[in-house]
Amino acid sequence: MSEIIKRPEIKSVDFCVDENIWGHRLYDEQLPHLTVLEFLGVLGSNLDKPLCPHEGSGGSVKFQPQRQIRLRGLLFNNPYVESIAESALPDEEKWRQWFEKFDQGKTGNGDDDMAYLRQSFASFDDFAKAVELLRSSSFESRSNKRWSSKFVFPFGPDALYEDLEIDSRGKMSNDRRFFARTGELLYLMLTRAKRGAELGDILAKRLFDREVPMNRLARALQGPPQIADDPRPSGYLPETAHARFDQICEDWLSILAKDMPIYDALEHLIAISSLNMLLYFLERAKRIAGDDDPVEIVCEIVSRERTKVRALSGDSYQFNQGLSAKAVRTHVEAIRQEDQWGKAVASEFPEAERVKLMRERFQWPTADEGDDEDYSGKSPDELVSDLAELALARHEQHVGKIHASWSRAIGLSSRRLSRRTRYAPNDRLLKSIVVVIVDDRMQFDEFLAEAKRRYGLVLGDAEGAHLVEAKLIDQEELSENRGNLEARLIGLGLVRRLSDSCSFVENPFAFKGEAAC
Amino acid sequence: MENDIQQMINVASTPPNGEVELGAPPASAWVRFLRSYGPTPNNLTMFDEYVSGALGRAKVQPISLSTPLLDSMVQYVESKAPGSLLIAGTAGDGKTYHCRALWTRIGGDPKVWAGKGNVKEYRLTDGRLAVFIKDLSEFNGEESDLPLQRLEKSVLGGDDSEIVILAANHGQLLDRLRDLGKRQGRVHPLRKPLQERFLQAGPAPDRLAVFDLSRSTSRKTLDEVANAVAGHPEWANCARCSLKAGGRVCPIDENRRRLLGESDGGQLARRLGDLVEIARLNGLHLPVRDLLALCSNMVLGYADAKGAKENLMTCADVPNIQESGHIGKASIYTNVFGGNLPKRRAADRPVFKAMASFGVGEETTNAADGLLVYGKDDSRLQADFDRLVGCDLFYGATAEFRAAQDAYLEGYEGARLEGGSSEFMEMLEAQRRRFYFTLPEAEADHPRWSMTAFRFAGDYLGIIESLKAKKPVSEIVRGRIAKGLNRVMTGLLLENVDRIFIASSGGFTQSRVSVLCNHETPSRRQGGVGMAIKLDEETERPQIDVSLSPGPGNSVAFDLTPIRHEFLSRVADGALPASFSNECLEDLLAFKAKLLRKAEIVRKTGFAGDDEAGGEASALTLNFIDIEPGGRGFARPVTVRTPA
Repeated sequence: MSEIIKRPEIKSVDFCVDENIWGHRLYDEQLPHLTVLEFLGVLGSNLDKPLCPHEGSGGSVKFQPQRQIRLRGLLFNNPYVESIAESALPDEEKWRQWFEKFDQGKTGNGDDDMAYLRQSFASFDDFAKAVELLRSSSFESRSNKRWSSKFVFPFGPDALYEDLEIDSRGKMSNDRRFFARTGELLYLMLTRAKRGAELGDILAKRLFDREVPMNRLARALQGPPQIADDPRPSGYLPETAHARFDQICEDWLSILAKDMPIYDALEHLIAISSLNMLLYFLERAKRIAGDDDPVEIVCEIVSRERTKVRALSGDSYQFNQGLSAKAVRTHVEAIRQEDQWGKAVASEFPEAERVKLMRERFQWPTADEGDDEDYSGKSPDELVSDLAELALARHEQHVGKIHASWSRAIGLSSRRLSRRTRYAPNDRLLKSIVVVIVDDRMQFDEFLAEAKRRYGLVLGDAEGAHLVEAKLIDQEELSENRGNLEARLIGLGLVRRLSDSCSFVENPFAFKGEAAC
Repeated sequence: MENDIQQMINVASTPPNGEVELGAPPASAWVRFLRSYGPTPNNLTMFDEYVSGALGRAKVQPISLSTPLLDSMVQYVESKAPGSLLIAGTAGDGKTYHCRALWTRIGGDPKVWAGKGNVKEYRLTDGRLAVFIKDLSEFNGEESDLPLQRLEKSVLGGDDSEIVILAANHGQLLDRLRDLGKRQGRVHPLRKPLQERFLQAGPAPDRLAVFDLSRSTSRKTLDEVANAVAGHPEWANCARCSLKAGGRVCPIDENRRRLLGESDGGQLARRLGDLVEIARLNGLHLPVRDLLALCSNMVLGYADAKGAKENLMTCADVPNIQESGHIGKASIYTNVFGGNLPKRRAADRPVFKAMASFGVGEETTNAADGLLVYGKDDSRLQADFDRLVGCDLFYGATAEFRAAQDAYLEGYEGARLEGGSSEFMEMLEAQRRRFYFTLPEAEADHPRWSMTAFRFAGDYLGIIESLKAKKPVSEIVRGRIAKGLNRVMTGLLLENVDRIFIASSGGFTQSRVSVLCNHETPSRRQGGVGMAIKLDEETERPQIDVSLSPGPGNSVAFDLTPIRHEFLSRVADGALPASFSNECLEDLLAFKAKLLRKAEIVRKTGFAGDDEAGGEASALTLNFIDIEPGGRGFARPVTVRTPA
C-alpha cells in the first residue's frame, strides 16, 4: 500500500470518514463530463506547470478558476436573442431591444456593459447565429438545470468556467452543487501518475490553444476573462500513488495519440476517466474492507435472447454496490484494533486519550461545546459505534450512490429488459474502450484479456473461467456472451472477422498515414 | 476431420457406369451422391469420410475442380527460392487438398501421404527436405511447437536445408504462434507480419510464400463449381430416363438445365455470380465447400419435406412430385436462397445466410408486385405478365399460382381470415425471387436490383467495371455518392452534388447537425484537390479518396464496400431504412472525423505566416452552411472580430 498523505482539516463537515477513505471528495451528482470540466478548470489555472505537483502544499495544488459571467449569461441566460433575430426589425432596432432585455436580466458581475458585442459582430443576426452555435454544442443543452450550472463545450481556455450559484441579487457563491471537487481529485490523481507531466504538456498544447476558431468565438462573446478573486487549494486525495492513477494517465495518453480531432477525443477521455475513477472508488473500498481480490465487473452483452449472464452480472453489480458501505464500517471500527488505542489503556486518562485519537482521525466528536448531541457521557467504544452509524447514514446520501450514478452515466450499467440493474455496457462505452485499448488492431481474445486486466471487465469465457469453475455459470453461456459482444462490435465497425474463430478488433482512429479507414 | 472433400473425390476414379439398382432411374446413384454435398441436417456429410464412402457406393465420376493456386505453389517450390510456404484458409477452402496435390506433383508417394502421421517429409532433387505439415489443427497444444520452430528456422533463421509446407487456419496459426511465443517469453516474430498479411495490411515475410485460399473464391469459382455440378458427365444418363419422357418434366433435370444456362444464355449463373461478388466485397467469404452445397441445393432443393426427405430430392421422389403437380416447389429460384430449407437449417450455413442477407423475396417494388398480383387480369399489364411470368410454365405462372392468385383476388372467405392468404404470399415471394434472375436486363420499369436489399448494387458493380476499364465513373453515381456524403457530414438535407462540405458542429463530430463548414472541396478531383474514386488493387473495391490540398499526405481514403455504397446512395435518395445497422453510420462518422482532422492540419500548414498583420489578424471567419430554397447548401461567412 502506498503512502497516505495526512489529511488537512476539512471545514464544514461533521466528521471525516468517506474523506479519509476516498478523499475530499468524490460526489455522485458530479457526472463524468462535469468532473472533466472541473479538471480542465484546474488545469487552465496551472498552465505554467500542468499536472506537476506544487512544492510544499502537502500534495494538493492551488488554482484560481475562471467565472466568465458574460459568456455564460449570453448563452444560458439570454432567452430573447432568437425571437429578436427572427423579427423583421432593422438591425439597429434589434440591438437596441436586445440590450434593453439583457440589461434587465444581468447579474451585475461585470455584465453591465455589453456594448463591445457590436464591435465584434457585423450584424445582430450574426451574433444570434454565434450564440445558437455555441448553445447547440454545449453539454446538456436541453436540461433544466439553473443557468449558472450550464456549460459551454470546452473549446479552449476562454470557454472554461466554474459552477456557481448566482442568486436573484447577483450574489455569486460556490455551493459545490455540481463541481464538488471530483475534478480536483482527478487533477491530483493525474499529477501523481508517473507520466503526469508528459500528459499535462500534451493537454495544455491541444486543449488550451487560444487561437482555435471556436475559442476565439467564445472570447468574442466573453471579452476579457473573469477570474475568481483568490487562489484556492484543491481537495484532498489520500494516496501518493496508485496503479489506478497511472492507468488513467496511460489511457488518456493513448486516446490523445489517436488520429482524431481533439474535441472528439474528449468524449472518450470523459468516459474512460470516469470508468477508472469508478474503479478507484471500488478498489479503495475493497482494500479498506480488507478484501485484496481485484475488482470484477461481469458484463452482460444485451442480446435478443436472455442469458444466465444477466443474473450473474446483476449479482456482480449488487456485490460491488455493497463494497463502499462495508469499507465505511471497517474504517471506523478499525481504530479499535490500532496500537495506540490499546496503549491508551495504560495512560492516565484512557478514555480521553481514545477520544483524542478519534478526533484526530475523524474530526469527531467535536470539541465544540455548542453541539446538540452530548458525547461526554459515552465510552469510546460507544462513540465508535455511534460514528459508524452516523457515517453510514451520511454515506448513503451521496458517496454511497456513486457506484450507481456513475456506472449509469458512463453507460456501464443498465436496467434494459430487466427490473434489476446490472452491468450491460452500451455502444458508446464499448467504443471508448476499444479506442483506448487497441492501438491499431488486436486479436479479439487479447482485447478481452486486456479489458479484464485494465478494468476488471469479465466479458467472455476465458475471463470468467473461475466463475465456471465455481459452477456459477456454464462456459457455453459465457462464450455466447463473448459471441454477442463480437457481433455488437462488428455492428459498430470495430471488429473484422478473418475466418472462423479469428477476428480482430480494430481502432478506426489508428494512425495509418495514408491507409484507408 | 479437417480434410478436404475434393481430395477424396479425386482419389476415387471409378469409371462411370449405368449399373444401378434394378428399375431405378439411370442417374439416381449420381443424384444421391450429389445430394450428399447438399445442406442436409447432418453436418457429417460435409466431411471426406462420408463423401468418399458415398462416392464408393455410387460408383460415379468425382466432381473435379481446378486448383488455380497449385501451379504457383509448384512453381515456388521448383524455383528453389529459399524459405517456406504457407497455405492458409478457412474450413472448406481446400487447404489439405492443395497440400496433398503439391505433394504428389513434386514426386511424393500417395501411399506415404495416405499413411499415418501428420508430418510428411520428402527429399527434393535440389537436396532440400520438403516438410509437409498437413493440418495444424491436428496437433494438440504444444505438439505444434516443433513444426512451428522448423518454420521459423526456415523463414527467419536462414536455414536453407528445409522447406516447410504448412496448411493452417488463420486463427489457429496466429493463436499457436502467440501461445508458443508466450511460453518462450517473447513475442513470436512471425505473428505480427502474418497477421498483417492476412488482413491485407502488409506484405508477408521475405522468405515465406503465403497462399491465402480464402482470398481466391469469387465469381469465377462459382462459375466453375456450377459448371462442374450442372455439366457433370453423369447427367448424360438422364437422356434415357423415363421420368422425363412423354412430356413429363423432371424438376431435377429442369433445374440442372437452368443452372447450366441452356435457355437464358447463362443469365442465372451470371446474376448469381453478382450476388456472390457483392457478398465477397462486403467481406464475406464463401469457401468452395459452401459453393458446392449451394449448387447441390439449387438443383435438388424442394420446399416440402413431405415430398422430399430433408428438402432435397432424389430420383425416387420425382414420380410423386410429378403426380402431385407441385413441381413449383422445386423452383431453383427459391432453392438458391435456401428458401426450401427450414429457417434454422438455412441459418446454420454461412452460404445461405449470405444469400438471405440480400432479402430477395421480401424486397420488392410497387410495379413488380402490381404485375404479379394483377397482371393476369389487367389489360394494361397483361402483355408484360405473359412475357415475364406466363412464359415460365414450371416456376412462373403455374396452374397453382394462377389458382392461388384467383383465390386471393376474388377474396373468398378463407383469404379474409388471418393468415388465409399466406399461401399466395409465399408464392409471391417465390415469384419475386424468380424476377431477380429472369427480368431482362433492358427492362427499365423493373430493374432487377430493386428485388434485392442492395438497390444500388448494379451501380456499384458498374463503378468497379468502369474503374477496371479506366473509364470515368458515371456522373449520376458520383453525384449520388457526393450527395450522400454531404448529408452525412452536415446532417442537413442538402442537394449539392458538385462539392463536398466537411462540416463540424464546433464540438463533437457525432453531433446530429453540423452547420459549420470547415472545408469545401469539389466532388471531382481537379488539380490534386477534391474527391476521386479509385480502385484499391488489393481489396478490388472502389475507394473514395478526398484530397484537401495538392500533394501527398493531404487526403483521406474511405473503403467503399457495397453496403457502405448502399447506405450513402439511400441517404442521398432521402430514405434511410431503419434496418441498416449502426455500422455504416459509425464508419462514415469515423471518416468524417478523419477529414476534419486533416482539414485542421491542412489549414494550419496553409496559413502559417500567411495572416495579415495588425487588426485583421483578430478577425475570425466562420462559414455557416445555409440552404437555398432548392435545397442547395452554400457557405455563408460570418466575420467576428475577437479581442486579442
